[in-house]
Amino acid sequence: MPNQQSVTAVRPELPAGVRAILAHTGKSRSFLREEPIRNVTRNGIAGIELGVNLTSYRALPLSCIEGLLLKVDGKEMDVANAHLTLNGVSHKMQDLTGLSGVWWFILDPATLFVPSSSPLPQGSHQVDATLITVEPYVTAGRFSFYHPASRTLAVE
Amino acid sequence: MTANTGLKLGVSLHSFTSEYITYKWSLEDMLQLVSVLGGGVEIVGPAHQRGYPYLTDEFERIFKSSIERWGLTPTSYGTYADPFMLKDRDLNEDELVDYMVPQLQSAAQLGFKIARMQYFSYPVIERLLPWAEKLDLKMGYELHVPLMIKSEKTRVLLDQIERIDSPYLGLIPDTGIFARSIPQFRLEATRQAGVSEELLARAVELWNAKTPGEEALPELLRLGLRKQNIGNIEFIWGSFGHSEPEELKDILPRVIHMHAKFFSMKDGVEPDVRFEEVTKVLAENGYDGWMSSEYEGQGGVDTFELVRQQQAMITRFAARYAPK
Repeated sequence: MPNQQSVTAVRPELPAGVRAILAHTGKSRSFLREEPIRNVTRNGIAGIELGVNLTSYRALPLSCIEGLLLKVDGKEMDVANAHLTLNGVSHKMQDLTGLSGVWWFILDPATLFVPSSSPLPQGSHQVDATLITVEPYVTAGRFSFYHPASRTLAVE
Repeated sequence: MTANTGLKLGVSLHSFTSEYITYKWSLEDMLQLVSVLGGGVEIVGPAHQRGYPYLTDEFERIFKSSIERWGLTPTSYGTYADPFMLKDRDLNEDELVDYMVPQLQSAAQLGFKIARMQYFSYPVIERLLPWAEKLDLKMGYELHVPLMIKSEKTRVLLDQIERIDSPYLGLIPDTGIFARSIPQFRLEATRQAGVSEELLARAVELWNAKTPGEEALPELLRLGLRKQNIGNIEFIWGSFGHSEPEELKDILPRVIHMHAKFFSMKDGVEPDVRFEEVTKVLAENGYDGWMSSEYEGQGGVDTFELVRQQQAMITRFAARYAPK
C-alpha cells in the first residue's frame, strides 16, 4: 500500500493539471451529512431536519429505499411519518417504495424531516441513523443492505 | 498501453467511487486522470450520468468535451437491468426493454462501442439486438461473481451467444472471478459490521471450500448470523470467485472486453487475484481488446497510485507472455 504522503508528493513525470487533481481533498461521507440539525415546522408539524446522502455508489430510484432507523441521544425515534425531500420535492418515507420513477442521483444531498413532539435542545447530540436499501440488481437476488452512520451534530 | 501486445489499458471511473462521492474529484477531474492511465475510459450509467437512463444534452457535452480535450477512448458503458427496482414484483420483459434501450442509446451517443450487460438482460437480449446493430454497439454479458466461467448460469449465456452468433453479443469477464483469497480489507469490514470471529472464520472456510453462496448463507444464519449482516456476507460471495484462469481460453473468442477488477496492491502485485495467469492467457492468445482497471478496495487511499501500479503489473505480465 503506497505511503499516504505520495498523494501530495511531487510526481514530476505527471502533468501539472493531473498533480493538482491528485492534491484535491474531499469531504467525509456517510448517510448523515455533516450539517447542523434544525428544529423546524413543516406543514404545521413540528420535528427535526437532517441532511442526508444516498448510501450507494450509484443513483437509485426511491423505490429501492426500504427503511430507516434513527436514534438521537440513544433514544429511538418514530420514523413512520418521516419525509425525504429531494431536489425540492418532499416524499413520505412510507410512499418511497412506490416511487420507481424518482431517481436519487448519487451526488445529490437530501433532507430528512422527522416529526417530534419536543424540539431538540441547544448543544450537541449523538445521532445514529441507518438507511436500509435494496440494490436492484444483485445476482443472488433481493438483498437488503444496512448502512449505519453516527455523527455528533449540533442544533442550529 | 502495452508495446508488445494488442491488449489496451483503461480505467473504469468506478475505481474512483470514493473520491467521486466525497467530492474530491469531479467527473471531469476523473476523465483528466484517465489521460495518464491508459486512455480508455469506462463509465457506470447510474453513477456518472445524471439523468440516467436518459442522456441529456448537457451530460453529452460535458463528457465529450473531456474526451476530446484529453484524447480519450470511450470503451465500455455500464448498463443495469435492475430487475428488483420495484418492491412488489420483478420488472417484466417489456419493462426491462424500456429501461435498457435508453441506456444503449446513451452509450452509443456518448461514443462507446461496448455496453456491459448484466446477466438479468438475458431474457430480452434478442429484443435488444436490433438496437445494438443499429447503434453499432456490442453488448457483452459481464461474467461477474457469482457467475464463474463454469457456472450453470454462464452455460445458459454461452449457449445463447453461440446460438445467436452475432458480433454484437459477447462476454466481458471480470477478474474478480479469478480470486485466490478474500482480501483483508473485506474481512476487516465484515468484522467492523459486527460479524463475530467464529462466524467470520466459518465464512472463510466455506469460501475456501468453494461452497456456493446459496448453501453458505443458510448455514451462517443457522450459526447465528444477524439479519443486518446478510449483506456483508453477500458482499463476499458476490465479489470473489473461483474460476481457473485456464478456462478463459475456451471463451476467449467471445470476449469483447475485460474488467481488470482488483482490491489492493502489495509489492507490485495483486495478492488476492490471479492476474499473472489471466494476463498470460490473454497475451498468449492474442487478445487485443481493452482492459478496464476496476478498483474495488477500500476508500481513503491513493487510488490513482493503485491503478497505476496495477496497470504496470498487467503491462509487465503482458510483455512477459507475449508471443515472441
